[in-house]
Amino acid sequence: METIAVAILGFFTLGYFLLGGADIGVGMVLPFLGRTDRERRLVVTAIAPFFLGNEVWLVAVIGILAGAFPELEATLLHGLYPAFSVLLVGWVVRDMGLWLRGRVDRRGWRLSWDAATVTGSWLVALSWGVVLGEILAGDVGGPGAAGAAVAGAAGAAPLFASHGLAFAALRLTGAPHRRARRAAGRIGEARMPVVTSAVITVAVLAAGVRLEPARAAADPGSLSFLVPAILVVTPFLVAAQAWSWYLFRHRVTEPVYL
Amino acid sequence: MDPESLDLARLQFALTAGTHFLFVSLTLGLVTLVACVQTRATLTGSEVHWRMTRFWGQLYVVNYAVGIVTGLVMELQLGLNWGGLGHFAGNVFGSSLALETLIAFFLESTFLGLWIFGWGRLNRWAHLALIWGITLTACASAYWIMVSNGFLQNPVGAEVVDGVLRLTDVRAVLTNPSAVVAVGHVLSGAMVAAGFLMAGVSAYHLRRDTPDQEFFRRSLRIGLAVTLPFLLLTAGMGGMHLGVLEDTQPLKLTAAFGDGSELSRLQAEAEAAYGPGDYVPSPAGGAAFYLMVCCWVVMLVVSVTGIVLMRSDRRVAASRRRLRLLVAAIPLPFVAMIAGWVLRELGRQPWVVYGLLRTEDAISDIAPVTLTVSLIVFTVLFGVLALVNYWLLARFARGGPRAATLGRPGGDRPAEPYLTTAF
Repeated sequence: METIAVAILGFFTLGYFLLGGADIGVGMVLPFLGRTDRERRLVVTAIAPFFLGNEVWLVAVIGILAGAFPELEATLLHGLYPAFSVLLVGWVVRDMGLWLRGRVDRRGWRLSWDAATVTGSWLVALSWGVVLGEILAGDVGGPGAAGAAVAGAAGAAPLFASHGLAFAALRLTGAPHRRARRAAGRIGEARMPVVTSAVITVAVLAAGVRLEPARAAADPGSLSFLVPAILVVTPFLVAAQAWSWYLFRHRVTEPVYL
Repeated sequence: MDPESLDLARLQFALTAGTHFLFVSLTLGLVTLVACVQTRATLTGSEVHWRMTRFWGQLYVVNYAVGIVTGLVMELQLGLNWGGLGHFAGNVFGSSLALETLIAFFLESTFLGLWIFGWGRLNRWAHLALIWGITLTACASAYWIMVSNGFLQNPVGAEVVDGVLRLTDVRAVLTNPSAVVAVGHVLSGAMVAAGFLMAGVSAYHLRRDTPDQEFFRRSLRIGLAVTLPFLLLTAGMGGMHLGVLEDTQPLKLTAAFGDGSELSRLQAEAEAAYGPGDYVPSPAGGAAFYLMVCCWVVMLVVSVTGIVLMRSDRRVAASRRRLRLLVAAIPLPFVAMIAGWVLRELGRQPWVVYGLLRTEDAISDIAPVTLTVSLIVFTVLFGVLALVNYWLLARFARGGPRAATLGRPGGDRPAEPYLTTAF
């Protein structure tokens, strides 16, 4: 049971970092990809249908942690309290930027909320870097190694940003697309997302191994109720997500609601 | 534990949960009304119902954004500030939270993305199925959250082994009366809130003779027709819930309604069972209860007056004062709902898991200064958010159906193809 629970945790965590990482990265490089008001709106459109569906992978991870690994959740959140607090602030600021930017038709309004999206995306990426750095250094709950935190943040920011650029290159058209493609350089537009996804997967799995979640699993009585329930619903969750990715698979040429 | 940290963490949770609840309660009710209106539009192809779907749907979506971000923060705050709760009750409380995120939250958000951005791209039946999917998952979300909260009020289906709770009876947890009756009360309250919002916004437009009188006459009828039955249902569920409290949390009831001798008897009983301490919750729960009931009475009067008024269109146009009353009534359900929560949560003190874990033992070991910084940052953030969103809601409500951008390709352009097929 613990093994299945760990596999479920890994699945949703990877889902979040691969999918959510892409829209966080696009948020980070928004001013680079979109130079004019309309271009920025197109760049936001590239992630608009997905960001809500992407961030719930993280909501699911937190839920799974709370239900199947309560001790691990407590250790992680308590040990990395400042990093997770900044992550939350960034998450809220970024979401508000995305939700609100199109609601009032004024240039200043859109500029301010785009600034919120960019700031929030950077805060999220940097705090994930700190979290992953501390986990990989094996220092969760310890005094907090400044070196690991800085190294993690310095590694995560370019990683999220390139993952975002790789995703943007697949979604956009026109000038923003050219900028994203140019950023891929010699790796090429098609290979770039494979490379960034592979690096993210390795980083996340390494952090997972380091945490040894199986040792912090919940009581068997809870797992025997929770794990089958999760296994039953997961195909429906994946199907709903697949529907969304299929429906919005086309490149963006016109803005949508946001 | 530092008493200052305890107060700070409680205040922060109360503010987060309060803000969250103000927005999600409307979300729950409004999405149901939008789903009904969209069903009518889909079945009959009626133009006015499509416009109603887009206008009320726009208010729903603007409102949803605050609900989701405060919900995210609340979910993490439980782990950040209340580590002792996860440590002690994680095996039970964590399971229902986990299922809430997966069965409800995850699907609801995925469906909502499809509904908002799939407008005009999906066939209308699939689009209709999505709004009903959102409605059902939103209700499921409320259910799972109330199962979690109900367990804190009335911990059934679990036993303490080695200082930690173990789940023993899933069915008892899922059918906990503290959860099931309360979820009925909350959901019908949410319908009341949505009904009054719809009626109030419509009354605003009718009173000012803005364009789209027909649109708002219909909306006024729907809104008012929803308020009366759900007001009665809310009261019925509330009454049933008082019965549940008599069995499960007599101290909550007695502290709220102040029978001195009964209170000292219950306090003595609690001391005998749990050792010395103060087990009487704050009497402010009683004030909250009377506030809730007062709001309910006023809402009932407004609702009945409104229904008498809407029997004929001519009467609607002639009674501007009563229309103004409907506009003024918009905040009432929200006041009542927050008051209800204050009663429920204050009355649980000094316990976080009733009779098993004290609030002071649930808090994480965090320095008051860290908590103060966090409290200030999040309060400012949510304050700004709530104000901006209320301003936007009011702006869209005043703008009427012509200003709704939801469901318009390009947000502001007439329908046109906007896709290429390369990916």
